[in-house]
Amino acid sequence: MTHLLAVSQYGASHAVTITLAMSALLFTIGLVGFLVRRNMILMFLCTEIMFQAAALAFIAFGRMRMDTGGQIFVIFILTIAAAEAALALGLVILLFRRKETLSSEAWSELHE
Amino acid sequence: MIQYLLLLLPIISALVIALSSQRAAKWIALIGSTAAFIAATLFAVQFPHWTTGNFWPDLNTTPILGNFGVDLKIGVDSVSMLLVLLTVFLTPLAIAGSFSAITTRVREYYAWFMILQASMLLAFMSRDLIFFYVGYEFTLIPMFFLISIWGGPMRGPAAIKFFIFTFLGSVFTLTAVIFVAVRHFDSTGTWTFAIADLVKFSSTQLSAREQFWVFVGLMTGFAIKTPFFPTHAWLPLAHDQAPTGGSVILAGILLKLGTYGVFRFALPMAPIGAIECTTFFAILGIIAILYMGLVCWVQTDIKKLIAYSSVSHMGFVVLGLFALNPIGLQGAVMYMVNHGLSTGALFLCIGMIYERYHTKDMEQLGGLVSKMPVWSFFMIIFTLSSVGLPGLNGFVGEFLCLMGAFVAEHDQPAGYPGVLGPWYAVVAAIGLILGAMYLLIMLRKIVWGTLREPHGDGHTEHAASELPTDLNFREIAILAPIAVACLVIGLYPKPLLNAVEPCVKEVLVNYPAAIDAFNAKRGLVNPSAPVKQAETAK
Amino acid sequence: MIPMLSITDTHADSPAHAVVTAIVNAIPSPELGWTGLILLFPAISVVLTGLCCALRVKSKLPGWITVLALAGSFALVLKLYFLRGDAGAPVVVHLWDWMNFSWGNQDKWHSLQADVSVYVDSLTLFWLLFVTGLGTLIAIYATEYMEADVGKGYARFFNGVSIFILAMCTLVMADNLILMYLGWEGVGLASYLLIGYYYKKPAAAAAGQKAFIVNRIGDLGLAVGIWLIWVNYGTIEFNTLFQVWNDADRGVGGFDKALIPYCLMLGAFGKSAQLPLYVWLPDAMEGPTPVSALIHAATMVTAGVYLIARTYPLFTLHPDALATVAWVGGLTAIFSATIGMAQYDFKRVFAYSTISQLGYMFMGLGVGTTFGAAYHTLTHAFFKALLFLTAGAIMHGFAGQLDLRKLSGLRKVPGFKIVSWTMLIGCLWLSAFPYSAGMLSKDVILVQALSGKDHGFVWLGWIGLITAAMTAYYAFRVWFRVCAGPVFYMPGEESHDDHDAHHDDHGAHADPTSTTSHEFHPHAPRWAMNGVLLIIMLGAFATGIPGYMEMRGESNWAQVMMAHSSAFAGSVQAHVTDAVNFGMNPHQLVEVFGTAASLGGIAIAMYFHLLQRKSADKLRAWLLAHNSIRWIPVAMENKWYVDEFYHACVRGPAWIAGHILHFTDKHVVDGLMVNGIGRIPAALGRLFQPLYNGVLQGYATTMAGGAALVVAWVVYRWLTSGVGA
Repeated sequence: MTHLLAVSQYGASHAVTITLAMSALLFTIGLVGFLVRRNMILMFLCTEIMFQAAALAFIAFGRMRMDTGGQIFVIFILTIAAAEAALALGLVILLFRRKETLSSEAWSELHE
Repeated sequence: MIQYLLLLLPIISALVIALSSQRAAKWIALIGSTAAFIAATLFAVQFPHWTTGNFWPDLNTTPILGNFGVDLKIGVDSVSMLLVLLTVFLTPLAIAGSFSAITTRVREYYAWFMILQASMLLAFMSRDLIFFYVGYEFTLIPMFFLISIWGGPMRGPAAIKFFIFTFLGSVFTLTAVIFVAVRHFDSTGTWTFAIADLVKFSSTQLSAREQFWVFVGLMTGFAIKTPFFPTHAWLPLAHDQAPTGGSVILAGILLKLGTYGVFRFALPMAPIGAIECTTFFAILGIIAILYMGLVCWVQTDIKKLIAYSSVSHMGFVVLGLFALNPIGLQGAVMYMVNHGLSTGALFLCIGMIYERYHTKDMEQLGGLVSKMPVWSFFMIIFTLSSVGLPGLNGFVGEFLCLMGAFVAEHDQPAGYPGVLGPWYAVVAAIGLILGAMYLLIMLRKIVWGTLREPHGDGHTEHAASELPTDLNFREIAILAPIAVACLVIGLYPKPLLNAVEPCVKEVLVNYPAAIDAFNAKRGLVNPSAPVKQAETAK
Repeated sequence: MIPMLSITDTHADSPAHAVVTAIVNAIPSPELGWTGLILLFPAISVVLTGLCCALRVKSKLPGWITVLALAGSFALVLKLYFLRGDAGAPVVVHLWDWMNFSWGNQDKWHSLQADVSVYVDSLTLFWLLFVTGLGTLIAIYATEYMEADVGKGYARFFNGVSIFILAMCTLVMADNLILMYLGWEGVGLASYLLIGYYYKKPAAAAAGQKAFIVNRIGDLGLAVGIWLIWVNYGTIEFNTLFQVWNDADRGVGGFDKALIPYCLMLGAFGKSAQLPLYVWLPDAMEGPTPVSALIHAATMVTAGVYLIARTYPLFTLHPDALATVAWVGGLTAIFSATIGMAQYDFKRVFAYSTISQLGYMFMGLGVGTTFGAAYHTLTHAFFKALLFLTAGAIMHGFAGQLDLRKLSGLRKVPGFKIVSWTMLIGCLWLSAFPYSAGMLSKDVILVQALSGKDHGFVWLGWIGLITAAMTAYYAFRVWFRVCAGPVFYMPGEESHDDHDAHHDDHGAHADPTSTTSHEFHPHAPRWAMNGVLLIIMLGAFATGIPGYMEMRGESNWAQVMMAHSSAFAGSVQAHVTDAVNFGMNPHQLVEVFGTAASLGGIAIAMYFHLLQRKSADKLRAWLLAHNSIRWIPVAMENKWYVDEFYHACVRGPAWIAGHILHFTDKHVVDGLMVNGIGRIPAALGRLFQPLYNGVLQGYATTMAGGAALVVAWVVYRWLTSGVGA
């Protein structure tokens, strides 16, 4: 943490640091959740969490650099996440209809 | 503008075919390729530089990646023109030759065929290295599908091997090209991929070491495509498994892309590198001639035999190219055209037999002259042309290639500068005997002798319903033009030789001095001492 | 002057130089453009007979087209001959450009001129006269001989004959070596097509192929010779070449130049069936007999003689070149004569006699008498064509019977009188009966050989004399067996055309089990065959004229023609040395021993094959019964196992090599190298396969782990880079 503060040439504030830490935490939660859960809806929610972690990081860096680029990206991310949620949930429903289960292990045709 | 029309015609026909019905596809393909032939003929008539070696048209460039100097430059010199003519001549014939053989997924077949033609034309007509490379590589895709969908029983492995093998080599070619372009950028500050500029830069500005590696890089791709001796393994399988039309194009034109590459890029770009490697490649050529001659001898499959003979024949081209003198290069270019005609025609002939008997096994066929005299007539003509009988086309190229290698020495009045010498030609000329041997044995087995047919008296019901015993009008109409071309070129090759001559001189412009330097380095006498031309000069 | 003296010495002041530069420069003669018609007529015939073939014409039309075309050519050749005379300067007529180009820079200037041009000097005319003349006659003969094939192979046959005459005329009229090469291979093609005429017979197809391939070996020599000439002299046009061949400026000579004659020689030996490349000619007898007469006796096989005569000056480039030619010729002559003595198929006997007589011609060239060689070519063309045509008439009449043990007394069979008596003339001429044309021409060669001083030419002369006796023996062995003696004949087992088993009268009766011949009616030749036989017989008599004139010491047209061509290299009837053997000079020697050889041979043949036919079999049985000598007849009858030798020593190893290489190609180059390299990615993939178990989380873990590793590495670098220190 001190390193982060020390090397930041943009003079990152305490708030930025906390936000970035929050983002990292969120991302980790999402990643761990994605890796350990087998329920496809939960896995999807975890990817959303990772998305939001990235968005948070954008906000933080945007704030740090004092430009609006980060926020613009966040709006894009939200839009895409919405579209993607519709698509992904549709797919999940489709898959559920095929095999009557939400477990991702049911779909392992890719293995050799 | 006709050059663009020529390029677009096959693409348009491919699109139309894709939208048409299965039935109309072959006719559209035939019309489209014939239109391309007519367009190319008009192009050739307009072409003003048959005897000067210049490119035409000169001014049409369309920047595509302007920043990197990649322009769509379309133009031909007379050697390119000859190969373009060969392409547009053989394609309609190969399409017509597929009419009865292709019965499944007809539309796709002809669409791919037209795309194949377009990419070959692009490769031959491009004056920009990147576009040459695009055309050169793009031929792989249609050919891959032609082999893997309509090929013989081993079509899958054949197609994959063909694709990966030739693609692997081309990567090195591309690397060499990019290297030269980057060096050009380094020293001049501008990007260009124009062939003329890069050739000029590379041959004069690069050091001997750089030229050596550029040459090796370029040759890796071209050697696999041609193919040279140890890299030929894809060819017998691909030729054997490809459908007739595919074999015709593969042997007739695609192989020439490799030698064309050597002629147009490798030799002029890196003269010093080429001289360093000449002996090596010439020996590979000779090995190909003899080794493949012997291998052909023991083949029992006609199509494999012709496929192997292609490797042997390309060995003569290699020898002619590496003679590094005009007579050898002229021979090599003539041989490219002639090999395209005669081997293409042989594949067509074999396809006709295969459609009737469903076998290519020489042990099962025999004495066909008594049943199919017209077919036998054509088969004999094309075989003799392949044997290199004077008066037919094969002889001109073969004799000049060997002569070129033979005279490539200094210490004789008529000797050309060169690195090879008589022994190369004499050893390679044993290929003349081997060629006569395996091709005439093939004739004896399938054309002469008592009639042998695989299924009692011949035709399966399927074939019998469509094809007559001997050739039908369509098949005669396919083979006759090639036979006429063989005879005309054999008896009057002058126009072709005249057309090739200036381009050859252009390619070799840096060579005499480079060879003298090379020989001087080896401690050989520099023979540039003027030789009196006494009274022989007419 | 002994010619070999001049041959060993090519300096500018030597006699050879003086003589050879006397080859007159050719005159470009556009006004003689009609000379091209000599080539055009057979070419038209090729096209028309080809059309007949395509249209399946069912008449003798193609035959007569060919006859007309060849007669037209012959007439033009005669016109040219009378216009030009024996000793005119060579004529060059340019027809069209073929393979020519020039390339040069300031230092060097090169050109390759290989046009379709005609170079006519006396040598060309000499050959053209008998090629077109005999060609016409034999075509007339063939119109009748091949009549069983009308509508089937008739047009194809005459197409082949036309191709042959076209190519042969190109060969002798060519203005440069590459065009000559075209004719050279063209006659090979015609020979291939015509030997394989009865393509259903596997032997015929194989014989055609063998002829072509063996000839290709010779052609290789010719091709290398052409390249050597070009590289040494910068020209391949005869006219230019003859002006510069001795030019000191053109190269230093030495190794390369000296090889030229040997390369050309190889070509000549291939085409003219000399040792070691003669093996194709006996097999070539599978072709129709007019073909054997025209191509494999009278004309094509003399192309080698023509080649050497044409390039004669170049044969002085190495001192031993001509001696090699002479010795190969002499050895071939006696070698093939031994085989000829033991064959039962009389067409084969004539084939071996052809090889033997060609050997004489090469001996003549080698010992220095081009006149003798060319003159023997001429007489041989007539008498050998006559012999083959009579053999053909007999085959035609007796359903393809060629075994001389199964025919006898034909001169008493109705319809075969002319055949028998013309055959007698042919045999007399072949066996060099005193004062026959055959003897006159052979004597020129033998006298020259016997008067030679070095290279053992005297021995060669004696070999020639011994061969003459053998020749007389086997020639008359045929005649006494077939034409003399009691009447007896068995038809052959196949009709000569072999095309359909339901052939008319003679084919149907060709019953192999029948030993009597009462129901078999020989098919007597009619006017075309008989007429041609008589004309050629007259021709054979006429060919004696130059010989008589020569004998009386007068100059004659054949000699003059040779003297005014490139074949003139100070060689014409060189001085007879006073070399004395048995107290006689060479002339007397040949006169005495030649006569003795001829008559002796005939007498022995008469004893064994006419008077005491059983004794021949007894002799053979006696030879076979003794182990120490039984190899002689066995080897002779089996042609000294030369074919078997080639099969074992050349074809066999190459065949095995082919299989080995094919195996290598399939399993080492393709299997091991290419596929082996191709397997590397697959093997790598298999190594990492467990990571890809198909469960989504597995992939995600890998990805996240990978990302973590990257991050860890970046952080590590960052910490250790000292930036934050």
